[in-house]
Amino acid sequence: MQLITANNISYTINDQKLFHGLSFSLDHGSALHIQGGNGSGKSTLIRILLGISTPTKGEIKYMQPNLVLSYLGHQNAIKSYLTPLENLELIFPKAQFDNAYSWFKKLNLIGVQDETTANLSFGQQKKLALIRILANDSDVIILDEPFVGLDQATRDLLAEYLKLRVSKGASLALTSHIEPGFNCHALVLNGGAA
Amino acid sequence: MISVMASELFKLRKKIRAWLGPLLIMILVLIAFPLSIDISQYDLNKFYFSIIVISLLVISFLATETMFVEDFEDGTLEQIYLQERDFYKLALAKVLIYVLLIGVPMSLIGSLFSFANGVDASQLPQIFITLIFSTLLLFNLFAFGAALSINKGAMLGVLATLPLALPVIILLGRAIRAVQFGNGFYEIMALMIGAGLLVAALVPLVISITLRTHLE
Repeated sequence: MQLITANNISYTINDQKLFHGLSFSLDHGSALHIQGGNGSGKSTLIRILLGISTPTKGEIKYMQPNLVLSYLGHQNAIKSYLTPLENLELIFPKAQFDNAYSWFKKLNLIGVQDETTANLSFGQQKKLALIRILANDSDVIILDEPFVGLDQATRDLLAEYLKLRVSKGASLALTSHIEPGFNCHALVLNGGAA
Repeated sequence: MISVMASELFKLRKKIRAWLGPLLIMILVLIAFPLSIDISQYDLNKFYFSIIVISLLVISFLATETMFVEDFEDGTLEQIYLQERDFYKLALAKVLIYVLLIGVPMSLIGSLFSFANGVDASQLPQIFITLIFSTLLLFNLFAFGAALSINKGAMLGVLATLPLALPVIILLGRAIRAVQFGNGFYEIMALMIGAGLLVAALVPLVISITLRTHLE
């Protein structure tokens, strides 16, 4: 079952075609690995899928109303002046907080729970941001370079989690220069042609 | 809406510099000005209100200058857009929380300093309400400026919104004269409340569209 479809989409910036004529779909229980070199338009394509950016041509269709999306991009969307726990309180409603906190423990962040987030390492901040994905039961998961900055154990944990979610019917789209470690359809962006 | 307001209140409360800084600067200006000129109390009383009005204008701009920058830079705006598909609630909540945490204390400070400079105690509530509605108007206008110049420096916001703030200043001046002379205060307040509510309801719409454009 298709959740999101892209029909013949193109994106041009400053007269330079990032990609054109792309058609694909994000299906129930499937994963899509968007690949390509730096500047090939992977992040732009992710933002188009999310509805944040608009394609120059073509259209994105959400096949179900009220589709729940979760997304983590290059920016972590966490507040550096708050503690990690305060960040979780800000992101999650009370009903979801316990689940988020169990991921917080699983990611070994307990030791820094009272630190200011700005004092955490890049990897720890990334882990904290990932809880937004891990503790969220969304239909579609969209990730932009999710493995960057993570240690091997956390990479494995994330890959296992994503694999499990896809097997349970979630749809996943991700960009990554690091191999995700599970079966994905590949979509290769190659400077204007795909 | 209540949860958005609670989140915004929580965030602003934690950023002590963002709300305490403008209040301290306002106090400093209102104390420093009379000390910096050699003038009689009688003459000072005549134009001290102008200092309060100007400091209200400048401090309102200072307080709102970076209202959306942090959420834009750390990716929070993207997350909010995915949930809400617009920024109306965010803009409305942010402005109301800023008015509550900065605008109301500013109005209180302005009222107390006007009391210390010749205003009758019985007129304080009127002055206070006038200043609150002025800050509501100014915060909305400057929040629009902040949204407009979110990634282009503050000058664009100043240039775009300062002309819009001038009618507020004129209205505020009229209201204060009306309080001082006891003539026509309620008519001006009705106009100010009407304008305040209209602006508070509509400007977040414009801010929402502006933020959406920046995100794209």
